[in-house]
Amino acid sequence: MTLVIDDLRIPLAHFDLEVSATMSARVTAIFGPSGAGKTSLLDAIAGLRRLQRGRITFDDVVLSDLPARARRIGYVPQETALFPHLSVERNIRYGGRHNEQHVVEVLEIGHLLDRGVTALSGGEQKRVALARALLTAPRLLLLDEPLSGLDRPLRDRVMQFLQRVRDDFNVPMLYVTHDEDELAAIADDVVRLDHGRIAV
Amino acid sequence: MTDAAIIWFTVRMAALATALLIPPALALAWLLARGTWRGKSVVETLVALPLVMPPVATGLILLKLVPHGVVFTWRAVVIAMMVMSSPFIVRAARVAFENVSPRYEQIARTLGAHEPRVFFTITLPLALRGIAGGVVLGFARALGEFGATILVAGNIPGRTTTLAVAIYDRVQLGHDSAAWQLVAAGVIVAFGAIWLSEKSTRRRA
Amino acid sequence: MPVRAAEVHVSAAASLSDAVSELAKVYESKSRETIVLNFGASSTLATQILNGAPVDVFLSADEAQMNRVPTLVRVPLLSNRLAIVGKPLLKARRIAIANPEAVPAGVYAKQWLQRRGLWAAIAPKLIPTENVRGALAAVLAGNADSAIVYATDSRIGEVIMDSPTIIYPAAVLRGAENVAGARRFLEFLQSRDAGAIFRRYGFLVK
Repeated sequence: MTLVIDDLRIPLAHFDLEVSATMSARVTAIFGPSGAGKTSLLDAIAGLRRLQRGRITFDDVVLSDLPARARRIGYVPQETALFPHLSVERNIRYGGRHNEQHVVEVLEIGHLLDRGVTALSGGEQKRVALARALLTAPRLLLLDEPLSGLDRPLRDRVMQFLQRVRDDFNVPMLYVTHDEDELAAIADDVVRLDHGRIAV
Repeated sequence: MTDAAIIWFTVRMAALATALLIPPALALAWLLARGTWRGKSVVETLVALPLVMPPVATGLILLKLVPHGVVFTWRAVVIAMMVMSSPFIVRAARVAFENVSPRYEQIARTLGAHEPRVFFTITLPLALRGIAGGVVLGFARALGEFGATILVAGNIPGRTTTLAVAIYDRVQLGHDSAAWQLVAAGVIVAFGAIWLSEKSTRRRA
Repeated sequence: MPVRAAEVHVSAAASLSDAVSELAKVYESKSRETIVLNFGASSTLATQILNGAPVDVFLSADEAQMNRVPTLVRVPLLSNRLAIVGKPLLKARRIAIANPEAVPAGVYAKQWLQRRGLWAAIAPKLIPTENVRGALAAVLAGNADSAIVYATDSRIGEVIMDSPTIIYPAAVLRGAENVAGARRFLEFLQSRDAGAIFRRYGFLVK
């Protein structure tokens, strides 16, 4: 389960994102200061941004040849972006229902299923967003600063759930963060990004 | 033609005009909201024209464009109403679509949805309140349409005489109490229609 | 679009609505033909005709509008007179009339005032309104002391006996689809029975 980014280039506001990397760990952190281009990199891998140049492959699948809907990549964005007009249950089922029972148990959201998403706490929202991504049986999971906006005790709690996901599901994760503690807690490997380039 | 028949005719035509308008108006609004394309500002201006031009001027243009067999029929009434109402629906829908964060649509795509599914299950429901507001305004505009209708559909009692035209007629002829009768009935109908739709828009939230 | 053989399409000036509606009903019961009426300002009606609207017979409130359209048969059908409602003109401070630049009733009023040599004295006191009904409404509401309107507009005014010649022409149009039916209806409009009905509404019959 290896993600290969080959000579990727995307023009951003203040500089170009230029990345070549191979990631095959269980959890690869993409680490760097804000504005480094981390979210844009995730968007590109998910198929939400067009590449000016380069290729993205996962094992033998050329992801960059596929539209976003065909890439089978789970995405938990920084804004969480739960669909406000759908219940928790309909949110998580939007892309599929693979392993639904198990996912709901691991993330402990069974009691939230018929709630509206706006009534959830920050931590609950993150877990629901995770579940939504996992129910599509993705080949790769992208997480953009999943603990941002949460206060200290909640961060620890949600981190526990993230670790559970890492251990229980066989899905490699790309984890964007600018926090050293999170690196230590979950990452197996780190890619450092600064001003659109991989810092050595 | 009785007062009730005139009102019923006008309401039916306005409802038909609004209903026919919604799919193309939404499609156009969506195109205007998302993406930049050549000729976009020309289209934006064209959409706004019926708002800015005197309705009579629009009516004159329609008179030239509408085919011979349609002029002076109820179809011309519907066409005039559609043209005069379209800016309200297109503009309100466009703003509503613009206010739906693209993030929602993007996530829906990563979850495997085709574009039509994204539009109907995510974009449209989230834009619905704004769109509904525009539709109400468009319907109200159609109910009161006068200047363009009178040119291209004429004032044919029993066939194309709408509420606004009938009121104007009666004032012109000095049938004042008959005019007031129709005004009162028209106000009640318009009030009821808008109140009903405001209620249903609120419930959706 | 099937040929509407049995229908006669008649566009008539708004001021003739009541009279023509009644006449159409009478004609329909006598002749088994269907009259489809369309009312409006004479200028609007003429514009519709010029732009290809399907009209067989046109009754205009003045000659100028009838002159714009091509006709097969044209007759001066009706006449009217001016009337003064309210105070005598020379005693009035404000006089309402339909816009003398655009509306037939106002044009005729101005013609008459000029012919009588009153224009210079009266002109500063004139309040032009969008149509002749507006002029009548102004004097009835007290916003003007007098109004110059048509005799057919108000029973309470003093009729001006030396009014300028006001003609309401009627015509079968050159572009008519139902020429035969149009001719028959035009003949009916000139009949004695029709004349009686027009007179009842205050018009003069030629």
